[in-house]
Amino acid sequence: MSMAQYARQNTVQVGGVVALIAIGVLGTLLLDLPVEALLTVGFVERSFQAAAPIALAAVGGLYAEKSGVFNVGLEGFMIFGAVNAAAIMWIVGGSSPGQSDLWIAVFASGLLTLVYVIPFAVLVIRYKANQLVAGLAVWFIGLGFGPFTAVLVWGSRNSPGLTTINDLTIPFLAEIPVLGPVLFDSSPLVLFALLVTVVAWIVLFRTRYGYWLQAAGENPEALDTAGISVTRVRYAATIFSGVMAGLGGAVLLAQAGSFTGTGETMVAGRGWIAIVAYLFGNYNPIGAAAAALLFGGLDMLQIQFQTAGISVPNKLVNLFPYVIVIVVLTIWGSTRVPSAVGESYESEE
Amino acid sequence: MSDRESTRSSEVLSRISARLQNASVLGRLAIAVASTVSALLIGLMIVAASGYDPVQFLANVFEGSFGDDAAIARTLKFTTIFVLTGVAVAVAFRAGVFNIGVQGQFIVGGFATVISILWLAPMVPEGTIGGIILMLVGFLAAAITGGAYAALPGALKAYTDTNEIITTIMLNFIAIGAVGWLVEGPFRGEDQAAANTERIPEYVAFPRLIYDVPDFSMVGLAIALVVSGVLSVLLVRTGFGYDIVTSGYQQSAAAYSGVDAKRMIVVTMTISGMVAGIAGAIFAIMIQGYYSTPGGIATYGYDAIAVSLLAANNPLGVIPAGLLFGGLDSATSFIGLNSDVPAQLIDGIVGLVVLFVAAPELFRMAARRTGMDGDD
Repeated sequence: MSMAQYARQNTVQVGGVVALIAIGVLGTLLLDLPVEALLTVGFVERSFQAAAPIALAAVGGLYAEKSGVFNVGLEGFMIFGAVNAAAIMWIVGGSSPGQSDLWIAVFASGLLTLVYVIPFAVLVIRYKANQLVAGLAVWFIGLGFGPFTAVLVWGSRNSPGLTTINDLTIPFLAEIPVLGPVLFDSSPLVLFALLVTVVAWIVLFRTRYGYWLQAAGENPEALDTAGISVTRVRYAATIFSGVMAGLGGAVLLAQAGSFTGTGETMVAGRGWIAIVAYLFGNYNPIGAAAAALLFGGLDMLQIQFQTAGISVPNKLVNLFPYVIVIVVLTIWGSTRVPSAVGESYESEE
Repeated sequence: MSDRESTRSSEVLSRISARLQNASVLGRLAIAVASTVSALLIGLMIVAASGYDPVQFLANVFEGSFGDDAAIARTLKFTTIFVLTGVAVAVAFRAGVFNIGVQGQFIVGGFATVISILWLAPMVPEGTIGGIILMLVGFLAAAITGGAYAALPGALKAYTDTNEIITTIMLNFIAIGAVGWLVEGPFRGEDQAAANTERIPEYVAFPRLIYDVPDFSMVGLAIALVVSGVLSVLLVRTGFGYDIVTSGYQQSAAAYSGVDAKRMIVVTMTISGMVAGIAGAIFAIMIQGYYSTPGGIATYGYDAIAVSLLAANNPLGVIPAGLLFGGLDSATSFIGLNSDVPAQLIDGIVGLVVLFVAAPELFRMAARRTGMDGDD
């Protein structure tokens, strides 16, 4: 799909982004904000980092929904991903874990999410549990057992400071202005999320398996007739979505360096934002990642405001992403969801 | 409307109501009990797996919820809140709308109560009469604020087809952040070390009946029971309630009988938010006496979803379900003090209850809601 073609097919989204940028520019001009202090390379870098966990969860959720299962449990799986990553890092590396411990923790935690997502997939697909309520349940279970795990391991809902991921500097490439520091002198997990996004796009739109996935959501009968098990495709996509959300939570932890289990935990709605991201990206992995970047940028605005010396209360700036989610959903609320989403499929074998 | 059409619509309506009434009460009860028991069993297994004594834990749960007068009063205190928040969720679910935003509506409602009482207190005579006037004002403020806070996602859902699950959750986060900021800054009490508002006057309180404890009154519980009774009558016995249910379950049938389904969504959400706001008012007046950082307030609004599901979204069924969750919450605070087992376990068990209840019961609801069911 060329850029022009994408723009033509997604006029509302493109219009929405243009409108947002216009409001932003207008706001900066009217309020006389120091633009240079706000739009720094560091800001772009931080936005990419903030976007990575959201993008991973969004790509997963997108696959599940494309296959016909609306996984609203992303938030819960992210909480498990984050707390398990912290616990594994603690077990492997003790109170001062190193970089290798961190990598082990991130990927082991992603894998461990299998333990949570497989029962969920079975309940939703095999036992036809209501996808929305089961997904909500996953969130509640995460809100309870996430901090529970933390209390078991550290005696407190929050973990002590562990370690954060080191930047990866790729020689020469890092010298490129703007792009260099953002991509080649930054968290390698950002590169990982980018890689996942691109691969997800290729698989979804350029391979036979991607075609099956789309058929499972749009026209399960046809896929069944073609001799492919709809149920199997849906299991794969749902389990994949949970693992990606778990990885997203683990990546979030690797960037924060410690687990916060108070209130609504450190995940703080990113799983829900991931759902909006892929809706906004119109079920296109690259669009979803771009939307995640938008939310990541909003999330990081507070640091920019602080460094630029603009006195807006932190708590209010932190609300930007949530407000934008509502605006985005409203402007472009009626998504064209895959037609068989929410419907369990009964094979005629 | 032609005769043929009205015959047809009344046929559709009677079929729906027949199906609703015939839905086996026993079956629902069985699901509720089985879900709770399974969730508790898994909870006990987790207790055992993490190296604690499950029998001791169970004993602590019972002692903490119904062990003595103090425990019972504490249980009833939480029950009061759960019955109201549970009814709030149930009203929306009845109309096929997922109001996950009860927590946010509860928070803005409670905050509005405290602020309106603090503002008006100097203008009203002190003493019992003044207290009653102030409480009425507080309740009114809570109902209006909570209702308005729920009407917004309702209107967005009705007129722009925006997914209310996501908008209501975002509004929860916004309520926590915004009220948090208000409590920390503009409305922080002068003599408060922590980020709290000032205390509301002493005489703005429910009388202590039966249980002489500072944060529970039978009056609060009575209000909760009356609200659930009123809403039950409203939903089950009146034409208005009938319209709510049909507009949720059968949009075309609702249209036949001249009901504007979109408007009903907004109205239902408003009612739901008003009840959530009233729950917030009781929380503020009866339990807290001031308003604190909402991030630290228990997740009554989320647990209420479990309460409502367990009650099969019946405003009267919410009472026993609310008692169960009140007991669990009461046990949580007891276990937090008297046992090594992390009390967060119980929050997880609540999630498990939702998961189990969800499986059979709510499938029907989602099918109706998305209009994919055809019939049964």
